[in-house]
Amino acid sequence: MTIKSTNEKMGQGVGFERIRRITGYLVGTMDKWNDAKRAEERDRVKHGLSKDA
Amino acid sequence: MIQSIIKRDGRVVLYDQNKIAGAILKSLEVSGDGNAADAARVANDVQRELENRFPKEAPNIEAIQDTVEKQLMNHGFNNAAKAYILYRANRTRAREANTVLMKTIDEITNIDARISDMKRDNANIDGNTAMGSMLQIGAAGAKAYNEMYLLRPEHAKAYREGDIHIHDFDFYSLTTTCCQIDILKLFHGGFSTGHGYLREPQSIQSYAALAAIALQSNQNDQHGGQSIPNFDYAMAEGVAKTYRKAFTRRVRDAVEDYLDLDDESESISAIIAEAEKTTGETAKLESAPAFIDAIAAGLCGKYGISDEMARKLINRASLRSAHKTDRDTKQAMEGLVHNLNTMHSRAGAQTPFSSINYGTDTTPEGRMVIRNILLALEAGLGHGETCIFPIHIFKVKEGINYNESDPNYDLFRLSMRVSAKRLFPNYTFLDSPFNLQYYVPGRPETEVATMGCRTRVMGNVYDPSRQIAYSRGNLSFTSINLPRIAIESKGDEKVFYEKLQAMLELVAQQMLDRFEIQADKHIYNYPFLMGQGIWLDSDKLTMQDDLREVLKHGTLSIGFIGLAETLTALYGQHHGASEEIQKKGLEIIGYMRDYCDRKSQELKMNITLLGTPAEGLSGRFIRMDQKRYGRIPGVTDREYYTNSFHIPVWQPISVYDKIRLEAPYHALCNAGHISYVELDGDTAHNVEAFESVVRCMHDFGVGYGSINHPVDRDPVCGYVGIIGDVCPRCGRREGEEIPFERVEELRRLYPEMPAFQGIE
Repeated sequence: MTIKSTNEKMGQGVGFERIRRITGYLVGTMDKWNDAKRAEERDRVKHGLSKDA
Repeated sequence: MIQSIIKRDGRVVLYDQNKIAGAILKSLEVSGDGNAADAARVANDVQRELENRFPKEAPNIEAIQDTVEKQLMNHGFNNAAKAYILYRANRTRAREANTVLMKTIDEITNIDARISDMKRDNANIDGNTAMGSMLQIGAAGAKAYNEMYLLRPEHAKAYREGDIHIHDFDFYSLTTTCCQIDILKLFHGGFSTGHGYLREPQSIQSYAALAAIALQSNQNDQHGGQSIPNFDYAMAEGVAKTYRKAFTRRVRDAVEDYLDLDDESESISAIIAEAEKTTGETAKLESAPAFIDAIAAGLCGKYGISDEMARKLINRASLRSAHKTDRDTKQAMEGLVHNLNTMHSRAGAQTPFSSINYGTDTTPEGRMVIRNILLALEAGLGHGETCIFPIHIFKVKEGINYNESDPNYDLFRLSMRVSAKRLFPNYTFLDSPFNLQYYVPGRPETEVATMGCRTRVMGNVYDPSRQIAYSRGNLSFTSINLPRIAIESKGDEKVFYEKLQAMLELVAQQMLDRFEIQADKHIYNYPFLMGQGIWLDSDKLTMQDDLREVLKHGTLSIGFIGLAETLTALYGQHHGASEEIQKKGLEIIGYMRDYCDRKSQELKMNITLLGTPAEGLSGRFIRMDQKRYGRIPGVTDREYYTNSFHIPVWQPISVYDKIRLEAPYHALCNAGHISYVELDGDTAHNVEAFESVVRCMHDFGVGYGSINHPVDRDPVCGYVGIIGDVCPRCGRREGEEIPFERVEELRRLYPEMPAFQGIE
């Protein structure tokens, strides 16, 4: 990763990396996910710990 | 009089009756229906009919071919007519395949992977790189060929139209999916990578380095993933070798320092060799008392020092050796993780798709391995990035690491701390009944190990005396579009099961066809996998033998996706919404498993049922079904079908219920399964909460599970954790820049912040 900097500032155009489990393995950043898996990831809801959550 | 004809591309060319006669003759010869004179007669009638039908304009190719078919039949050459029709159909298929192929290659060549969904079909191949594109072009060509020449028409149709998905179809004629590599067997006596010979490793560093090379080498012989089922047991041997060497040197140093001597290498080596000989022991992290006694006696005899002093020197040497071995192991494990995330395979398009299983070796050496691999995973890569490979799988077992009184419980706890930060390890549960039935204490090959995203190989119908994880793997798998069968059945359960039965038969036949291709291969087609004896019994084959019998240790797996949508289509609800529907879900998957078991017995081969890891498939089936059936609520109204037997990702449900409902499917899907739950970041970082989830999986009889939580990273300030819109550390939004002084300030606060490259 090369992060360009001007004299005073840095980070322009640099996104955040978001690592998620795709099917069982991980994929480093979601840019490489196909459209269907991106939609699936977007729809995922968190699961609560209490039994009647 | 016909003077010219119009070709498919619109060009007008001179009419040539000989060409028509030639094509007719070929059909007559193939069918044995007639000779050249017959061909001439048919061709004359074709010409006459064309002249009648096209008095002024030029006929096109399709019209000419229709006429040929008709005239062949008029003359009673029915078999020749059939041959001609088949020839035409094949030409059409080839022509269309070529067009599709060229269009595909055009897309691979010209379109950015960020725009082209096709190029992101498998997230592990970077479709924007030269070698990644080359691999995709090769895959596209192989798929076109395989569909044309290798599939039966009914299988080609089912595949093309999305009734089934033949996984790794580009490799259809080439190889098998995966293998659990018994790395110890490979190391003993040394091995060849296919490009060079490597001696048996002698230290933990070389054990780890060669393990990575083995995974890399195997990646080029198979199309799936590579796994080491016995990572801790295997690396422990390397730790022992490192310790043993270190111990000899440290005892020598201690003696030389104490007695102010120059070089006692030979004498010390002799004393230790004698102790090894008389006790049958070697120096270990916890050496046998008899071994220590023997060395102490040797030192007293040789140097005239007291027993107390001899033991003091040995003790110091032991401690220092243990420190050194631990340091070496840490470096070796860090090196392994770095290697597996950076080394190239498959023409540079991928890093090896690797998995390592560990957690059950309770020896001090094995424990040192487990602790250090977990710490290396926790530390991340050079800039603190989360490691993508290898997949870490922690084997959970009562009596070994599950309960507080178990010897490796501390490592189980550590694994959860790490997983809460890095998403790995995943957990495999040896106590679940379908895993426990194979487990024999003291025989690590009977511990279930997982490959990649879920593949499991354990039972062995072909050879019931070899029900082990080592040296075996999947040969191929094909998945069924389960929701489509449900939609087509229009709520009629009986029709559904009839259609399902037919589809199971079709898939089994297709995989057996593929097996015939695989079975005809030889050792020399797989110089590493078979040539180095990694696959079970491949070391007994000669160059002339085909692979048929040894491959039968592997599995042919029938997969499925979208149980949730299937149930909704059939019964109006999915299994996460009603206990009654859960029963129906178990009936369907149980039916499929029964079919696999019966087929296995009938063939004496391992036909198994897989909860398919739907990556490319999650979108492929549903796109086709939306075109066919429109948007059916709860069935085709999203962009993906739900993974295998999972409760839909969008369904609000507790961790407890999700695990409770999915666990019974693990028992049925003997080719592989996974359940995951989604925790928010705060819950995941609470080790007690995290442990309660893993214990819930264990207690409900899950086979393989993992816990998802957001892991984000800001490359500018190096923050790893959850990032919403704004980075909690440096305060910037995505794409924003921050002042350089702010970065300097942060670096003082967070000394572990990575040093950036490329800053001018």
